[in-house]
Amino acid sequence: MPPVETSARFRTGRIVLYLTLTAISLVMIVPFVWMLLTSVKTPGDIAAVPPRLFPTEWAFGNYADALRAAPFATYARNSFVIAASHTVLNVLIASMAGYALARLRFRGSSLIFLAFVGALMIPTYTKILPEFLIVRFMPLFGGNDITGQGGTGWLDTWWALIIPGAVSPFSVFLFRQFYLDLPVELEEAARLDGLSELGIYARIMTPLVKPAFITVALLTFEGSWNNFLWPLLVTKSDSLRVIQVGLSVFRTENDTQWAFLMAGTTLATVPMVVLFLIGQRYFVQGFATAGIK
Amino acid sequence: MVSTRDRVRAAASGPSAAPPRRRGLLRARRRAGLLMVAPAVLHALIWIGIPLVAAIVLSFTSYDVLTPPRFIGLENFRDLFSDSVFRRAVLNTSVYTFFTVPVAMGISLLIALMLNTQLAGRAIFRTAIFIPQVTATIAVALVWLWIYDPRSGLANAVLSFLGLDGPAWLSSTDWAMPAVIVVGIWQGIGLKMLIYLAALQSLPTELYEAASVDGASKFRQFFSLTLPLLRPATFFVFVTSVIGAFQSFDQVYILTDGGPANSTTMMTYEIYKSAFREFRMGYACAQSLVLFALLLFLTLLNRRITGGDRATR
Repeated sequence: MPPVETSARFRTGRIVLYLTLTAISLVMIVPFVWMLLTSVKTPGDIAAVPPRLFPTEWAFGNYADALRAAPFATYARNSFVIAASHTVLNVLIASMAGYALARLRFRGSSLIFLAFVGALMIPTYTKILPEFLIVRFMPLFGGNDITGQGGTGWLDTWWALIIPGAVSPFSVFLFRQFYLDLPVELEEAARLDGLSELGIYARIMTPLVKPAFITVALLTFEGSWNNFLWPLLVTKSDSLRVIQVGLSVFRTENDTQWAFLMAGTTLATVPMVVLFLIGQRYFVQGFATAGIK
Repeated sequence: MVSTRDRVRAAASGPSAAPPRRRGLLRARRRAGLLMVAPAVLHALIWIGIPLVAAIVLSFTSYDVLTPPRFIGLENFRDLFSDSVFRRAVLNTSVYTFFTVPVAMGISLLIALMLNTQLAGRAIFRTAIFIPQVTATIAVALVWLWIYDPRSGLANAVLSFLGLDGPAWLSSTDWAMPAVIVVGIWQGIGLKMLIYLAALQSLPTELYEAASVDGASKFRQFFSLTLPLLRPATFFVFVTSVIGAFQSFDQVYILTDGGPANSTTMMTYEIYKSAFREFRMGYACAQSLVLFALLLFLTLLNRRITGGDRATR
């Protein structure tokens, strides 16, 4: 609770603080408000000079029209499928790896951990070209022969969209940090009770780091939903397009119909905002853990 | 799946494992450890290890994807140095980073300090400021594209309200880069603010009480206590922000396509263009290695200067 302090100076300070924070928050929010308002404007309102903040006529039909103009619903579904797959795979595979690196010190485990930390340093743009080539020349897929020649490999398939993002070194790193904090006694007691190592991981330790799971899940989902360049590179057909790529293509192909575009953009941003509002605590914890430790 | 494996394992080890023997336990631990990291390691080998090696190898070749790569030695790197567009991209990336990172760091530290007080509605402010961070760059860049529209966009409407004549923003060689930088700052503040806020909240209060008793002003406390104590957070924020800024791509793709007249093209954008518009994979790999080398150099340099490697441990 605020300390009981009523001096005039304190009160002025408070007012300035609130005004400043309100102004900053407004600046951060205004683009979203502008997006929402534009998405329900008529073409006349959109072209108005100077622009009107509020529509003279609320054109909620824009959303239905936008969905007819481009399959934004399909794009959103694709994004959801990919983000959900990445989330499940990351949580499963990275938590096992993070656990092993934190708790089961074996020969070579610190080297493996160092390699993961090193992998964090490699820029996406250094990896992405060879990754594209691996996908393109994936043997025995998409008409490719055993040497990867002849077809298109994983290009324009769900494989390309899902497999390369199945585990990120960052998830492994985060899980390791969370598992490190658990007390050794628990693990040893479970071992004396004759529980296997996998059993200790799955039944004893993992339930204790539930927040870590939620954190990694939320960060993975968000990153995957917002990803643009990779899906742009590996997909061509409309049915596999993700929402971010769909938006960018819609802009170039349709001479920028702002109302529709803003309706699509709302569709692309609102789920993440809602997710963040629900899981804010875990987002914060995730970033803080990554940053402070 | 786990439970089945448990049962199989329990059956396999049988009664002989009943008296817990240290050596057997250690071996079981090692086996379990290897088993559990294996999927992640395998994935990293295929999608990080091989690509890194491939990028290095391909950078010495001329490769258009359709015909096999041809070894050309250092030619790509020689070409890089005489490529004026790529030089422009390196310069633009540096300018973009130089303006977005310190400005956003300063603003976010200020906001974090403001939010690190007993304040009603703190969560609301924090949420509002963080939201640009969780939304897709592509989507928010589209909104900014509309904001920057010279005729009916919000930016020039605000300026004309203030009695100023707004520029043509994204089609002006002078204003396109500042416009892109503003978007970068706007989107980058949330995460930095959050990390600073978390760091501020973990600072020991006793030190501040002692400093107050000793009569140190708030101002003095900030410079002599807070800033030094925030060093690990600052190091982390700086390194991750520079890495992020150097890899900005999405906003340029939407806002300017690198233009006008290459005034906003970035290294990432040149890599993308070389690889997927000109199909010069070898050359693009060489460009990507330059990006990698620059990032590595900046990180190590910063680590030297601040000595703050604790943060990334």
